[in-house]
Amino acid sequence: MSDIVLGFEQVSKRYRLRRGWHFSSVGEAIGRLRRRVRSDDGTSADFFWALRDVTFQIQRGESVGLIGSNGAGKSTTLKILSRVTVPTSGTFSAVGKIGALIEVGAGFHFDLTGRENVFLNGAIMGMSRREVESKFNSIVTFAEIERFIDTPIKYYSSGMAVRLGFAVAAHINPDILLVDEVLAVGDAAFQAKCLNKLAELREQAKTIVLVSHNMTNIIQHCNRVVWLDRGTVRAVGDPEAIVEEYLSAVSPSAPATRSAESMVDGDAPVRIVSVVARNHRGESNEPLVYGATAALEVEYEVVGPVVDPVLGITFENANGQTLGGLTSRFAGLKLDVSQPRGTVRLVLDPVIFTRGLYKLSVSLQDERLQRFYDVWSRSTTFSVEGPSLASREVSGHVIYPHRWHQEAR
Amino acid sequence: MQAIRELLHYSYLILSFARRDVRARYKQTALGAAWAVLQPLSLMIVFTLVFDRVARIPTGGTPYPIFSYSALIFWSFFSTAMNQGTLAMTANSNLVRKIYFPRETLLLAVLLSASLDLVIACSMLAVLMVVFKVSVTWTVLWVPVLLVVQVLFTFALVCLTSAVHVYFRDIGHALTLGLQLWMFATPVAYPMSVVPEAVRPLYVLNPMAPLIDGYRRAIVYGESPDLARIGIVLVVVLVLMSFTYLGFKRAERTFADVI
Repeated sequence: MSDIVLGFEQVSKRYRLRRGWHFSSVGEAIGRLRRRVRSDDGTSADFFWALRDVTFQIQRGESVGLIGSNGAGKSTTLKILSRVTVPTSGTFSAVGKIGALIEVGAGFHFDLTGRENVFLNGAIMGMSRREVESKFNSIVTFAEIERFIDTPIKYYSSGMAVRLGFAVAAHINPDILLVDEVLAVGDAAFQAKCLNKLAELREQAKTIVLVSHNMTNIIQHCNRVVWLDRGTVRAVGDPEAIVEEYLSAVSPSAPATRSAESMVDGDAPVRIVSVVARNHRGESNEPLVYGATAALEVEYEVVGPVVDPVLGITFENANGQTLGGLTSRFAGLKLDVSQPRGTVRLVLDPVIFTRGLYKLSVSLQDERLQRFYDVWSRSTTFSVEGPSLASREVSGHVIYPHRWHQEAR
Repeated sequence: MQAIRELLHYSYLILSFARRDVRARYKQTALGAAWAVLQPLSLMIVFTLVFDRVARIPTGGTPYPIFSYSALIFWSFFSTAMNQGTLAMTANSNLVRKIYFPRETLLLAVLLSASLDLVIACSMLAVLMVVFKVSVTWTVLWVPVLLVVQVLFTFALVCLTSAVHVYFRDIGHALTLGLQLWMFATPVAYPMSVVPEAVRPLYVLNPMAPLIDGYRRAIVYGESPDLARIGIVLVVVLVLMSFTYLGFKRAERTFADVI
């Protein structure tokens, strides 16, 4: 065998769905014990398989990204990797000291000072007193809280507490470092600091497992990606390729229909009839193209007296995060309500989204933007072809219309 | 055995948890560590009023306050460690759910912080003994031996109760009641001599009885403890502990899933 430091061999993890154990009566517990003795392990409805037959290996010095949508099993995988829990079946093996940057500051006691907490948290992460002492100054400097180190942390701002937690965790100096979404903490400057720390650890040939929803971070900091999907490994391999595949699979494109998430006021005078996204060639159900034009068509019907209703359109990414929204009133457009039906067309000129899937929410409101007549939430999905995050040349979901200028002196 | 080696590696953690418990317990209190003395002291006063003045328990010439306090401080050590130890996992659920460390460090830390209270309470005993002019003999050296047995016994019990408490919070409620009853089933407020002959065999079932009786003999009466019975207790405790500790180590692996 070569240098495998982390191994998952057909790992499965089952959770009980019923929270029963905590609050159940003794009678129920005895009943369950009896069932257990009869080797009838409850019905399958009682359980949830967070992981099923997951197999992968991680070698020394590798930096591996774990991706997948919510509920795919990333957290459970991390819990097993960090030895907080054990698999229901299968084997997990690890070589070397594991450090986890998960839930930073979980070990803080709010009555104790920053200094006391640094020592306590260091100890919880397996450091000796001497180790903490030797790194103490560096930790405090990293967290940028020198002035408040002898203040009880209940008086800290949440940002300060999180920085201190991260600083301690970043100094554990493990052979294998597990990093969960924590990179989302702190302001931009502190995040950059965290990412630099990660890069530094990579240079020291530490093994890193990174869990993130931020594909830019995954691509920048990983040399391999494990894609988990509903508790199983969907794909393993090169970050660019897997992220690409992942981004185009997270949400299937669906025609614009009134979804279950729509909400309509019973006696609303105007209603949305359809929402369609068309690319620059006028085709619906085809990807929009970055840099080209596109049009979003909303058809509405007028069923009662109404004055100047306002149409709103909001763009969301595949995870449901809002990227931006517009209303017809912002542009001074007055919806024509003189006929029983009408169509408004929002022309995007140009399309500024990066490659991926996007969702639209469309609403009709009264003229003072206080009452919703009709809302189609995430009703239309469209995909965009264009520059990919995987290229590392762009990040995020939006590329602003721009030009560069430079001067040489 | 691997567990023992790992525990040594985490010895600093045990100390840190204990220090956290002690600091946090007395922070923002006006009386601070005096609370460690006040609890057994107030019980002693109540016992003196009830058992000495009203019930006239025979103590063999020893002032009743000394008689009861010398037993109460060790009982307090036991009941504090039992109470806090049983709740240790759930009280630290945010840690248990998220970070790996040998869970018994929390139990050992409880024993450590409770023993600090014991030390403080012992110094109060010394003061009382001077006041009541009770002198100590070399037999006081038996106290550390008895303490070792008591600590092992407590650890064996909290391994069981803290693990069960993760699943059934009932334990927490039952414990307070149970410990109160248990104290009266132990010769804390009264000497073994007042226990009717017919009931005495039942005391064999209570490992705390020879221990508490032993402390009193060693400190107040200048006698050795009942070594035969202490020996039996030690054997029973070691057997019990080997079961409960292994059970605890087995159960702790999935504490995070249920807690």
